[in-house]
Amino acid sequence: MKTLYVEGDTFLHRLSPRVKLVALAFSSLLLFLIDSPLFLAAAAVCGGWIYASLGLGWRQSLLRLRPILLTIAIVAVFTLVLNSPGQALTVLLRLTALALLAAAVTATTSTGDFIDEITLAARPLERIGLVRAADLGLSIGLVVRFVPEVLTRYQAIRDAHHARGLKPRPLTLAVPLIILTLRNADEIAAAIDARGIRAQK
Amino acid sequence: MSTRDLVLAALFAAIIVALGLVPPIMLGFIPVPITAQSLGVMLAGVILGAKRGGFAVLLVLLLVAIGLPVLSGGRGGLATFVSPTAGYLVGWLFAAYVTGYLSERFVDRSQSSIVQIAGFFLAALAGGVVVDHALGVAYLAWGTGTGLMTAFMGDLAFIPGDVLKALIAAFAGRAVMIGYPLLPQRA
Repeated sequence: MKTLYVEGDTFLHRLSPRVKLVALAFSSLLLFLIDSPLFLAAAAVCGGWIYASLGLGWRQSLLRLRPILLTIAIVAVFTLVLNSPGQALTVLLRLTALALLAAAVTATTSTGDFIDEITLAARPLERIGLVRAADLGLSIGLVVRFVPEVLTRYQAIRDAHHARGLKPRPLTLAVPLIILTLRNADEIAAAIDARGIRAQK
Repeated sequence: MSTRDLVLAALFAAIIVALGLVPPIMLGFIPVPITAQSLGVMLAGVILGAKRGGFAVLLVLLLVAIGLPVLSGGRGGLATFVSPTAGYLVGWLFAAYVTGYLSERFVDRSQSSIVQIAGFFLAALAGGVVVDHALGVAYLAWGTGTGLMTAFMGDLAFIPGDVLKALIAAFAGRAVMIGYPLLPQRA
């Protein structure tokens, strides 16, 4: 799976992930508290400038931002029709600014750094016994490892349908896919325990 | 959580991610393609129960947050959490938990098949439709300032599809329970 992280050595790349995440949370708070169109416009331009400074190029940037910008545009049009132009402008500017800032953090923070931050953030939860912090990193690794396998299995089930002249239906696809996949759980769990990866403390 | 529970949740998260990558499946009786990812969320609750199902969805959300394009259409990254529809995404977590919680209570292995399917359907409906859409609408209304009524009108278009998914989840949930029972039984 290809991540949305982009290799690079810009200022944002060098900034610690925690600083970036805190700054993002802080700016989202600010963006929602302040309604002035002038401020929001400045924020959107600022977000655009930050994103542009990553040097992704127009094509690549557009490709990455298209889905979210489209959603924002749809909501803005809805607001324009059902509410007022002023409100539509506020929505458009505020959400665009946020989306650009968030996308910039995503593009400059590697998956490993993120997992470290998540593990750290889960420490307090560990103390109250909700989840083991190390489990999160392990599970994320497991998911990434098994997605291709699930896809291969899906393809095989689809082929089996075609071979028998059956039309693939949600039920006849999902049920065998789920049972075949989950049946591996015992073996995988045994393998993890055998290697002592989740050593009991 | 035992290692097996952890692995089950991770495998289901992988299934949810994979469901976002496969082309939409056509239903037999109406010519509407359904995107399977939100179906996967209901399935997580119906098949794994509250705790493991919720954890599976939490893993998917974490993958989104760390910048993997795991949502349907290759979406991902922190930007999806500030998009107008972020409420539906975060709502998945509660949807899976509620669906799982109710499934554990409604459905019993000794019941007849029709009761089991009805139980799963109600659980998926409560979690995947009521809870998820309530959170989705709430954030859409608050985050964009459009007002609850407007947001709700926009939301209505997606309800029939999700009700249908709840029905599919109910049938699939029962089939999996017969083939490979995992749902925790109440004491």
